Amino acid sequence: MTARTPNSEAIITCRNVSIAYGRQEVIHNASLDIPRGAFMPFVGPNGAGKTTLLRAILGLIRPRRGEIVTPFGTVRPGYVPQHGTIDPLYPVSLRQIIAMGLYPQLGWWRRAAKKLKRSVQEALDAFGLGDHADKTFSELSGGMKQKAMLARAFVSRAEVFIMDEPTSQLDEKSEKEVFAHLLRLSRDEGKTVLMAVHGMHEVLELPPQVCLVEHGRVRLAETSDVFAMAKGGR
Amino acid sequence: MWENMRAIFEMFPEAVIAGAAIGSVCAMLGVFVILKRVVFIGIALSEVAACGIAAAIMCHIHPFLGATTLTLATVIVLSYPFENNRLPRDAVLGVVFVLASAASILIVAHSGFGLQDVKALLYGDLILASDADLSLILWIFIPVGVYLLTFLRPTLYTFLDRETARVLGLRVVLWELLYFFALGLAVSAASKVAGSLLVFCYLVVAPSTALLLSRKLWLVMIISTIAAVAATMGGLYVSFSRDLPTNQTIAATACVVLGGAVAISAIRRGLWFVLHVAQKR
Repeated sequence: MTARTPNSEAIITCRNVSIAYGRQEVIHNASLDIPRGAFMPFVGPNGAGKTTLLRAILGLIRPRRGEIVTPFGTVRPGYVPQHGTIDPLYPVSLRQIIAMGLYPQLGWWRRAAKKLKRSVQEALDAFGLGDHADKTFSELSGGMKQKAMLARAFVSRAEVFIMDEPTSQLDEKSEKEVFAHLLRLSRDEGKTVLMAVHGMHEVLELPPQVCLVEHGRVRLAETSDVFAMAKGGR
Repeated sequence: MWENMRAIFEMFPEAVIAGAAIGSVCAMLGVFVILKRVVFIGIALSEVAACGIAAAIMCHIHPFLGATTLTLATVIVLSYPFENNRLPRDAVLGVVFVLASAASILIVAHSGFGLQDVKALLYGDLILASDADLSLILWIFIPVGVYLLTFLRPTLYTFLDRETARVLGLRVVLWELLYFFALGLAVSAASKVAGSLLVFCYLVVAPSTALLLSRKLWLVMIISTIAAVAATMGGLYVSFSRDLPTNQTIAATACVVLGGAVAISAIRRGLWFVLHVAQKR
């Protein structure tokens, strides 16, 4: 299955991918081509396998069968995990957490140049976190923590963004702003955006196709059909 | 006071330098022991090192070699990401502690030494540090300290958010293993000289003091080091003046320093609360 976008060159390809936790197979024989510049929501009910599939695409889980081809060996994606994975015990500021997104550029030893420090400040400002830059993670609200994760993903100016329910802790206004920003990245800058969303209503401007994950089955579906199915009670 | 301090420096220079070196490096390593919530690893590795020393005594090899071999082997097992397993890392550490504590005594049980001799062989006393002990400590602790400060960024990112660190291209298994190797080396070298209580104290009490006083990582590491060295010097002074056992006195002094940090932290929070209420009014 190949999603329709202006640029049809696939940046991520899944071929006959099956993923299992122990004996339980959670993704069955999924094949998917995601073109460069696609804006692709992964929709489906809780426990359908959206997170598992995204984690496999990121290389965090090895599929039991099949093959996933990504450019992430050389080009690192921007990633927003589902839950805050940062322990609030750590004495690190929000600025340091966001600077973590620059690791592919900085490596283990380079000091951040002025330009990179400016990008951290821009990422902070873009999410309204400028005044909280020196606070630690434990001092932030749930919504701010999620914005911090988004800012960390965006600071890298990656080609591909993979996000797992990136707005679950945000209020409606912030949610709209984040989706508008993601759409802009995809349309204007040709960035590829994959994100798991729980319900279709979360994404305000839906692309023509979405990736539907249901009971471990993965398929590209016309957005209008998915809406019709949802209305029909499925 | 200065007379006594000068006497300590003149009579036990090895103990002073070894204590400062062990204290400062263990205090920096200990910051991550606490942040990673694996506090029990300090005492478990100390016991494993003692077990290695016991085995080395029975096999007539250098105690450090025995301690290091067994500690590093344990570190490899412990670096497995137990977070994804049914058994938490703390439970595994508990088992390691029990097994090592029992085995270290059982190994030398028929050696002909008395229990007190065995304990003296397995667990060192800082004040008795020799020239050879000091050079071993410096050979191990200087590279370990340099490693930690040089690779602070990848170590921090690996522990801070393992999953995202992997996505960003960090070899998290390697960085975790390197950290635990450094910890294992430090603990195995220090255990024979300073004893498990003191090593555990440096790994836990000094970093706890620092974490109460600062919310900036680099400052936490500096305060932790200062707290460990201050406790060592203070403990040596009290131990010398009052004729008390050295390791235990240093450990108790470190706890007094921690008590001071608790008080400062409470006063600071109280002041913040008062100012905050006054500002609102």
